[in-house]
Amino acid sequence: MTLVPVTYKGGVHQHDAIIDLIEDLGGYIVQKHMIAQEIVLQCFVPKDDIELIARISKPLFGEVTESPLVGTEIAVVSMSLEIHHLPHPSCDFAEYARRIGAKTNMVSPARGPGKRISTINDEERDVINEHDIAVYAFGNFESCIEHKWPVMRRGIEVPIVVMGGPSEEILRRIIDPPADGYVGGVGRFMRRTKEGEEIAKLDEIVAEVTRVLEKRREEIAKDPLSVSPARLMEVIREQVPAIHQVTSPTPLTVQMAGLRVKLPYDTFAEPLRNIVLEDGILLHDLAEVLPSRMRDYIIVRILPFSESNTVI
Amino acid sequence: MFAIEYFEVECPEPVGAAYYNQITNDVLLDHNLLKVIHKLHVFIDPRIPLFIAVGVLNKITSKVRIGDFTNINPQEGKMTLVIANETYLAPMLKILWEKYGKDHVEQPDRFTVVLYDVRADPKEIEEMIVADPSESLGKDLIYAFRLIAPEGFRVRREIHENGKFTFVASEDTIQEDIDAMVRARFALMGETP
Repeated sequence: MTLVPVTYKGGVHQHDAIIDLIEDLGGYIVQKHMIAQEIVLQCFVPKDDIELIARISKPLFGEVTESPLVGTEIAVVSMSLEIHHLPHPSCDFAEYARRIGAKTNMVSPARGPGKRISTINDEERDVINEHDIAVYAFGNFESCIEHKWPVMRRGIEVPIVVMGGPSEEILRRIIDPPADGYVGGVGRFMRRTKEGEEIAKLDEIVAEVTRVLEKRREEIAKDPLSVSPARLMEVIREQVPAIHQVTSPTPLTVQMAGLRVKLPYDTFAEPLRNIVLEDGILLHDLAEVLPSRMRDYIIVRILPFSESNTVI
Repeated sequence: MFAIEYFEVECPEPVGAAYYNQITNDVLLDHNLLKVIHKLHVFIDPRIPLFIAVGVLNKITSKVRIGDFTNINPQEGKMTLVIANETYLAPMLKILWEKYGKDHVEQPDRFTVVLYDVRADPKEIEEMIVADPSESLGKDLIYAFRLIAPEGFRVRREIHENGKFTFVASEDTIQEDIDAMVRARFALMGETP
């Protein structure tokens, strides 16, 4: 059974029926937003059953769309959190990606801006490495990007999509060692992206991010994960009641090959490791429970089949 | 409204120049400074790195008076000021309190101020000066250019005098020949610093 990420949009009326349906079909709900009278569910559902969900939700005016970014955590790396770089364009993209299902975090190096002076420290590097992909929002000058790129990517192991002011061809030429994706024509600007052309640019970034993530998914598929992150999320939700007390919008953030659990590491790491997934199989057999560099959260990295020799 | 007579962005990278043209325009527009600037020349060379902005300002003498943003209705024993724009409400209240005392000035809601037992000509109140935007102009201008200049350029030199301004920013120590460069940019606009 292949699970595909989809977004369901519909009215509040009888939305419980849709949630039950998705769960009965073996799908998982990653995130649930209730916005006034509307409900947005980001979920994984079996590929063959999308049709069925669409048919059943039709009388409720529900809408099912595929959204490949659901279940991914993206780091939008802005060169600083000053008004020079925020809210446009970094936040514009972060917000846009969130709308189509991704969980985006803004990461900004303390000494990111500039050419010669820009650096990244170990904490920032580790935080970026906890994500599925990093989107670097660079500025407008090719000589600056060329100069700071080798420094900014030092130690980053996740795929990087670079966006910058110069055109894509120039970015490809100046960026060495190469990045995984490039989007030209989005440098530093100080106006909101609201016109058609600008929105098209955001779509272009999303398309590039999706392309890079698809490649990563294919790689993961070659050596499948011992347990699906969405399933693990469901189990933690059932067995660790403390997670329901967390006020963060996503207490459990699903990643492509892991999970961020927003509970303190010291208290909850041991109980988490000893969760029983199936008879005789504990969580620590299939995954590593590590301290996150983001606050005192926990990061769960799911082992691939080749390491655990088990798939559930 | 004045238009900028001369506006040029000079940069060895044409894409960067186009972006900075847009950024300069957006920031000055957002900060309501377009009408203040008469001529503006921006020079950026990311290879040095160096950012220079030089410009000439329009002469503005427009002081903000109470009459500019309120309507005054004189009535028996009192005077009602209906406020159209809240921007200068606080300095206006301060001036009225000082002149007539807090007992005589009342503000029932956001858009109304009532003066009781004030024996003054409405004309006189209308003419009272509340603020002089040109006082803070230099500060606003430098602030705007700090936003326009690339953020890493933290070594700065700012001059604002005689209706002209110079803003130089760099990542490294500013070179000693900077005055010649500034003079050359002024010369492009047909001015002297």
